[in-house]
Amino acid sequence: MQKHILLVTVLALIGFGASAQSFLENSQVNGSFQTDAQYYMLDKGIDITDLNGKKFGINGFGKVNYTNGNFSAGIRFEAFLPEMNGFRSELNGVGLANFYATYDNGFIGVTVGDIYDQFGSGLVFRTYEEWSLGMDNALRGARVVLRPTNGVTIKGVYGRQRFFWAPYLEREMSADDYRGIVRGADAEWDLNQSIPSMNDSKFRMSLGGSFVSKKQADQSLFYYIPENVGAAAARLNLGYGNWAFSTEYAYKINDPSAINNFIYKEGQALMASLSYSQKGFGAVLQVKRTDNMSFKSMYTGKQNDLDINFIPPINYTHTHSLPSMYTYSTQPNGEMAAQLQVNYTIPKGTALGGKYGTKLAFNMSQVNDIVRDSIMDNGQMVINKKGSLGYASDFFAISKHRFFRDINFEIDKRINKDWHVNAQYINLYYDIETIEGHAGAPVVQANIGFVDVTYKINKKQSLRLELQGLWENEVHKGYEVEESEKKDYQKRGDWAAALLEYTISPHWSFSIADKWNYGNPVEEYRDHYFTGTVTYIHDATRVMLSGGRQSEGVVCVGGVCRTVPASSGVTLTVSTSF
Amino acid sequence: MKKTIITLMAAMAIATAGCDKIDINNTHKPYTPTGGSKTVLIKDFTGARCVNCPEAADYAHELQHRLGEDRIFILSVHAGYLATPTGQFPDFLTDEGTAWYNNHDSNPLFSVDHVALTDGNTLNVEQIDTPVADALAEPQSFDITVENTYDESSRKLDVKSEVKAVTDYEGQLYVSYCLVEDSIVGWQIIPGGMDREYVFRNVFRGTLNGADGEPLPSNHVFVEDTFAFTHSMTLDSTYNADQCYILSYVSDNSKNGKILQTAMQKVK
Repeated sequence: MQKHILLVTVLALIGFGASAQSFLENSQVNGSFQTDAQYYMLDKGIDITDLNGKKFGINGFGKVNYTNGNFSAGIRFEAFLPEMNGFRSELNGVGLANFYATYDNGFIGVTVGDIYDQFGSGLVFRTYEEWSLGMDNALRGARVVLRPTNGVTIKGVYGRQRFFWAPYLEREMSADDYRGIVRGADAEWDLNQSIPSMNDSKFRMSLGGSFVSKKQADQSLFYYIPENVGAAAARLNLGYGNWAFSTEYAYKINDPSAINNFIYKEGQALMASLSYSQKGFGAVLQVKRTDNMSFKSMYTGKQNDLDINFIPPINYTHTHSLPSMYTYSTQPNGEMAAQLQVNYTIPKGTALGGKYGTKLAFNMSQVNDIVRDSIMDNGQMVINKKGSLGYASDFFAISKHRFFRDINFEIDKRINKDWHVNAQYINLYYDIETIEGHAGAPVVQANIGFVDVTYKINKKQSLRLELQGLWENEVHKGYEVEESEKKDYQKRGDWAAALLEYTISPHWSFSIADKWNYGNPVEEYRDHYFTGTVTYIHDATRVMLSGGRQSEGVVCVGGVCRTVPASSGVTLTVSTSF
Repeated sequence: MKKTIITLMAAMAIATAGCDKIDINNTHKPYTPTGGSKTVLIKDFTGARCVNCPEAADYAHELQHRLGEDRIFILSVHAGYLATPTGQFPDFLTDEGTAWYNNHDSNPLFSVDHVALTDGNTLNVEQIDTPVADALAEPQSFDITVENTYDESSRKLDVKSEVKAVTDYEGQLYVSYCLVEDSIVGWQIIPGGMDREYVFRNVFRGTLNGADGEPLPSNHVFVEDTFAFTHSMTLDSTYNADQCYILSYVSDNSKNGKILQTAMQKVK
């Protein structure tokens, strides 16, 4: 397959008649490089008494894209030698991870190689790469995009997904890295572009539809596994003036898998969003229901890899260290979620707005389980039994089992030309047993707050101070944690954090920080996590060196998470782009 | 219009070809194990506080039921953090089980005839189908017989066993004897809560001759060679002798401890 793609790429280059000289004359080249390296040290203070033979972890990539008129091509090289702690061990290796070549003249676009794309909101198809998660589910194959008329786009994709460094060739069915082929098509019609009378209309409308199918051989000894699993979606986007509404519904045929315990129930997902915005005010209401919508090109897979689709999270993304300790991870087997976000800017020149205006934001999001009722199977009432339809679920019913809730209020105020303040209060409910798999661990119910103050010393220098606190309402108050339960109490209890950053524009930044788990129910976990960081920036190049402790936690992007173990040592990050 | 109809028909054809609907009344495949008498041991590393373990154990038992209860044995080894007893959770930890678990950090984990265990790896429950089927298809190298004599009053158990080669074989051969107690009722975490009357199946209670067993007198054996072993132990007063078994297996340390044959016999 790889040889074929390279051959096609070379032929494409020749076929477009690009002489070497003209190929270079009108070309543009851009790219980026990044290396993250960690040196690990023993640290009895946070219970790191064995490095398991791993002193270094290095993740690095370099990508280069070439564009010349209608033609573009690129490569991405990766090295994990070995992978940093918290990344999947299958990443260990070095090599050319991705490559592609595209010809697109506006009417037709053809890509061969590794494809990143998304149909609608991704409910049936999305391939993407997320460096911070060590995740890449690119589709190696081909894509054709047709634009037969204004506002109409038709796409087709075909290929096999990346699975770390596993070969793309047809594999033995018994191979651990055996995975299926993905093929899909999507059509989108933007009426405002297609119909001349609607070009400048206040009313906006677009429609779309997708169909994706995976083909994977039946490897099971016990169950008849569908070798072709299809999923379809339809979407609608409407807008009028300041209002916008979008919705997408997806349906997946029977897809027994390790994730859903080999049940044959269909999958469904519905998302809808209503928003209003005007100067100084914006509000968005989102709702989502998913049921059995995990869709992978390897039905035996259980981790965050080989996902064909993507279930978008509808939760606030926190960036400060304490609020982001408990980030929601999308539950693939089903959830009911809602989010309301309201932003308002108190106008300049008013008593509360002051000279620069005051930004206020309110957000509330909640995720519950769906309701699952028993069904009759071979004369018995069963629920989620392998080989059965699994369960019945009322589409609009909400389970009492709450996974997550985040209510937060934020104020952002520039006081004068020297002072800027940002503060936020968060009320959090986090079912750590469901989300992180800590069996029997009590739910995290916490109040979190921070103040982030920036003082501009002069044109070039500034100081920034962050003060954060996290207070858990209940962590077995007064309960003596037994020895064997301790592992579930790492990072639990009350926290305080502070950061002081000194910046000399445009190159230097120095910071010191500490996170202190002073209220952990387990006395030996009441640790400080000190870090010191120096950053140097030169144009598009950034070098960051930091040393200290990293607490255990999760890193989540778009509802997809990876666990980060506690560590102690030195981290160097070098990145550049051109 | 004609183009639209053709396009729609093509789309429907693609969609139909891209979907296989399985008859919900016929989701189970018939399976007939390949011939032979090779038996297989599944070690299920589990824990009473492991929420996913009951489901995995059910799967292993379903596998046993479908592929042959006389040829597949399951040993539930409680080991690891989630097996460490707290509060009312039962204590099924053993030194040998902890040694076999080899510092892995999750449950449930499995090995099939020790494959992918002693080299530091384990299997997830979804991965055991093929190794079990492969192991069943292997030729049998040994035959094991176990004869138990149990005295009710003293709770003393005498185990007499013979290991007989059914083919010539060369390796680093060991034989192990394990005590197993079935159908123990106790607390187990299950999805959505706690089952206070969970029935623990095939619980490993310890070995009679160490975590690695004991070597056969010869590493190069010939067909019909027979080796006799005897062991004695006193059953713990809390064990239900009616539900106890001796499980025995022959393994080859030159192949990462691969198990060549397993046998199981009731104590009473």
